[in-house]
Amino acid sequence: MQAERTLLAWQRTLIVLVAVALLYLRDPLLPGGVQTGGDPLNRLFPVLATLAALGGLIVHLRRRWRSTEHGLHDDRTGRPPAPVARPWAMVLVSAAACLLAVAAAVGAFAG
Amino acid sequence: MTEGNEPSGGGPTDAGAQRSGGSRGVEPDYRFTLANERTFLAWIRTALALVAGAVAVLHLVPLNWESGLRLAVGFALTGLAIVITVYAPLRWLRVQKAMRRDQALPMSALPVITAVGVALVCAVVLLGNYWS
Repeated sequence: MQAERTLLAWQRTLIVLVAVALLYLRDPLLPGGVQTGGDPLNRLFPVLATLAALGGLIVHLRRRWRSTEHGLHDDRTGRPPAPVARPWAMVLVSAAACLLAVAAAVGAFAG
Repeated sequence: MTEGNEPSGGGPTDAGAQRSGGSRGVEPDYRFTLANERTFLAWIRTALALVAGAVAVLHLVPLNWESGLRLAVGFALTGLAIVITVYAPLRWLRVQKAMRRDQALPMSALPVITAVGVALVCAVVLLGNYWS
């Protein structure tokens, strides 16, 4: 149960990451519902980098979940795997969130 | 950290000592490690919520605020998010090491920093609405 709850926490986090990345990609809202239709290419790089990290995380979580019999058994310890994801996955998800924050701040200067 | 006072698999175990990533001590009960991991993920979701607010203020929503005020709010939100994303994995590691060594969990200033930062942002947003 604990491992399953942790996997769900990972999934929620990754879903929020996708939502924020897509929010950043969206055109600015203007009064009257008019959209600028501006070129979002300058916003594309951080979003693509985030989505690439996301893909790696999903593959890692999926493989680890299956190799540990759905979070029930770690061959090395004979107990449920802890943590569910490897530490590098935590660094990666932190870096992806940090990249979006930096891109939002820098983008405010660039216009 | 509060779940399960009587671990079914026992307390710290030597079985996981080899995968402790260079840290001394023995691997704690897996439920505590998983709780630590979920806490880390909750911090990341908090950071992402702050980023979403920053994107809304800086890029999406048209606000009749002073430009400096808008930038101050946006940068405060992104700054808080960056602090959290840098600190969260370090915090996870410190807690993990403390549990491996059977020490008391280290205190963290992050909840206070986040609470004060968000309160300040809320105050500035209120000012922005009345001072537009």
